[in-house]
Amino acid sequence: MKDNHAVSKRLQKELMELMRCADKGISAFPESENLFKWIGTINGPQDTVYAGHKYKLSLEFPNSYPYAPPVVKFLTPCFHPNVDTCGLICLDILKDKWTALYDVRTVLLSIQSLLGEPNTQSPLNQQASYLWPNQAAYKKYLDEFYNKHKDS
Amino acid sequence: MSNKEDLDVYWKKINYAFPILNGTLSSDCTTEEYEEIQEIIVSLGIQIRIRDLVLIHIEKYLRQQVVPSFWSKFIKSDVEVKGFQLFKTAVNDLYESVTNFSAILRKLTLLNNSCSDNMPIFGEKDVLLGFKQLLRATLLAQLPLEFQYIIYFFYKVSFNVFDNEYENSDMGDDVLCSGCWNDYSDCNCTYIVKVFHDTNRKLMELQLLERLAGQVLTNFIQMRIESHIQKLCTGTFDVSHIAFLENWLDTTVMSWLIRIYCAGSSKPPPDDKNVQNAISKFKQKLSYYLYHSYTKLRIDQLFNIIIEYPDSQPAVDDIKLCLDKTDLRPTLCKNLQTALETRLLHPGVNTSEILTAYVSTIRTLRHLDPSGVILETVTKPVRNYLRNREDTVRSVVSSLTEDGAGSELAEELAKFAGEGDDENDKEDLWDEWNPDPVDADPKVNSGDRKASDIISMLVNVYGSKELFVNEYRTLLADRLLAQSVINTEKEIRYLELLKLRFGESQLHFCEVMLKDVSDSKRINALIHQDNNFEASNDKITCNGMILSAQFWPPFKDESLELPVIIKQLLENYTKSFEALKGNRTLSWIPHLGNVNIEIEIGDKKLDLTVSPFNATLIMHFQDKPEWSLDELHQVMKVPVTILRRKITYWQSMGLITEKSTDYFVLVDGSDAHKSNVSTNQVQEMICEDEEAESVMASAHDQREGELQVFWSYIVGMLTNLDSLPLDRIHQMLKMFASQAPGAECSVQELRQFLDTKVRTHQLVLQGGMYKLPKT
Repeated sequence: MKDNHAVSKRLQKELMELMRCADKGISAFPESENLFKWIGTINGPQDTVYAGHKYKLSLEFPNSYPYAPPVVKFLTPCFHPNVDTCGLICLDILKDKWTALYDVRTVLLSIQSLLGEPNTQSPLNQQASYLWPNQAAYKKYLDEFYNKHKDS
Repeated sequence: MSNKEDLDVYWKKINYAFPILNGTLSSDCTTEEYEEIQEIIVSLGIQIRIRDLVLIHIEKYLRQQVVPSFWSKFIKSDVEVKGFQLFKTAVNDLYESVTNFSAILRKLTLLNNSCSDNMPIFGEKDVLLGFKQLLRATLLAQLPLEFQYIIYFFYKVSFNVFDNEYENSDMGDDVLCSGCWNDYSDCNCTYIVKVFHDTNRKLMELQLLERLAGQVLTNFIQMRIESHIQKLCTGTFDVSHIAFLENWLDTTVMSWLIRIYCAGSSKPPPDDKNVQNAISKFKQKLSYYLYHSYTKLRIDQLFNIIIEYPDSQPAVDDIKLCLDKTDLRPTLCKNLQTALETRLLHPGVNTSEILTAYVSTIRTLRHLDPSGVILETVTKPVRNYLRNREDTVRSVVSSLTEDGAGSELAEELAKFAGEGDDENDKEDLWDEWNPDPVDADPKVNSGDRKASDIISMLVNVYGSKELFVNEYRTLLADRLLAQSVINTEKEIRYLELLKLRFGESQLHFCEVMLKDVSDSKRINALIHQDNNFEASNDKITCNGMILSAQFWPPFKDESLELPVIIKQLLENYTKSFEALKGNRTLSWIPHLGNVNIEIEIGDKKLDLTVSPFNATLIMHFQDKPEWSLDELHQVMKVPVTILRRKITYWQSMGLITEKSTDYFVLVDGSDAHKSNVSTNQVQEMICEDEEAESVMASAHDQREGELQVFWSYIVGMLTNLDSLPLDRIHQMLKMFASQAPGAECSVQELRQFLDTKVRTHQLVLQGGMYKLPKT
């Protein structure tokens, strides 16, 4: 219980920080009264095929946070080499590279930059990975995919 | 058996003995004659029948003759003395008629004794008692509607005479006797007194006093009590009246009553239990009524009493005493509450006056009811009202810190410091514990109710100390910046007093502010010793006030471009400061502070202390005598509207005139000379009139800023959660934004805030849900 309290405090602080800085393009807020479940929003980075897209994510914080990473998933279906059909993300800092120094803001910024710079070496989505080199075709497919799924 | 003639003779004899059978009372029948007749009756064995027959005739006679003639005198009359006379005659006549019955009654008693049937006569054993009972019953059966009028007059006239016996010593010069309203020469008082006692004695004998006059007497005495109290107690609160009133009741009213009951003697007969009972009952009733009406009167005046407290303390003591004897507590609460609402809680009353009254109320009611329950109930509307006034906090804080005799709060603050904590003493008083009164709110701890003193009650109006401390900070900042010579000692003393009350941590900021002031003095001294600085400007002396931005309340944002020469000076100052302090620099707030200037124009010389703004303005005119408003705006970087307002200061001083619209010219020496006389007068006025408005951002502006913090949370919420209803936003803010400053925000306030955002299209309200507009 005491740990839980410490985690709450940390999350509260992170929320305040996030609200204060108000970075363009990323945002997050607790989903309900439960401070351990947040909804995040990422705008596709400028000058990439994802520009103009908006993705919702869910962030779930374990009780051991910040010593364990939060579970981050895309809620809006995302066509991306490192995101699978369930929205799971393959990102090193959310797995083995996680340290307690990361926080919600850095996680969201990392995912935002992952959109523009996918790691095609270890793809979760083979099709996307295959299509990536051809940016024009990728963009065409991506836009169709996004428009079809953005409201789901 | 007797024959018919015998019977006729017997009947005549019986009629002779009891003339009532023929409808008359007078009879010459002597006792010896009667004894004979009774023997005949007894021998005939008809004593019971005769007795009953006589009783029936007595009853008939009373019903048809005596009672109607008695009541016929009860004519409604407007003249008191006539009423007096009428009642007297009526009672006299009645008494006479009754006396006329005595012969018959005597015979009837004998007759009754011969009938051994033990039948009660009208419920009584004795013929005499039965007769009185019959008389009363018959009288009351025919009671006219307005019988009380003349009885009332009767007692009024007589009471006047009586009351007068005690009071007339100082009205000797009056032409009229205040007892009977006649000329002294033919004063009727003695006659009235005689008649009065006589009538009362007769009524008492007939046992009619209580029934006929009781109600009237009570009403009458109550009226007298009321008017006496009114006469005695209007307008003055500084004397206790209760003992005096009790005395009045005892000496005047009660002795009068005793005389009524005891037919003129001033002491009740020691052996007559009935009379004693009646009198003591009357007395209880009357003293209750006395307390009741007195308390009621005082309750009606309570608001005024409160305003005059503590001079009105005797009156409060009286109320306190009487509240225990009457059941007027709820009335007191209700009346006082209404009085406060109608006389205090409306826009026409200054906040400071409301506060004074509030403080007075607290003091008075504390004294009146140490448990604090009345206070709690009564002042609730006041607290609610004060909460809605914008300048409440400011008024409280300024009266807390202002000195002089008028400021009770400042005294209160000092008192608190003197008292310290006497918690330990209280524990010893456990055996004096009393339960809370029944109307107490069970949710409130009685200890809290008693312990809270005036200042904390004022602070509690808002429920938080922070608002008070913040307001104090703003006031302190204003004061510190407004004075060029600061009396730090006084401020420190107040701060120490406030610390005792609000705690160290709350007032830490203010401490830093005061320290800034004294540090600034020291730094100024050091900088002036710096030769580099002194060498660079020998013309102008400059003292900086170095404020720790973190600890001072936010300042109003105003721009002002200072003249080059001043800027240069400040730069030098900054350099010198940097050399002194290393690693630190200064950021100047040009529009704060004071400037001492000396103006020489023509043969006129002015010595003034003005704001930097006005100084800058006049300095520009020093370089160039003619400026358009636009040019001034260019050099000073100040909005034209403000410039126009500020320049009136110099216009009123007669140094600048508006030559044409928005074009200002310096009045040169010769012109100034002409208008010298008039301007001299103006200038004295205006010099004092330098705007006294606060340089701090107002509480309202600060609040706006705090709500702005919420805005980022709201945007964050709506970005991620799409759309939310008002109460949910409020709830979320309460949960997640509680660390933000000014986190207390009511739903109403939030709604207002969100509505302004909707108006500026930063938010969309759709079906009760707030949303961010689509970009």
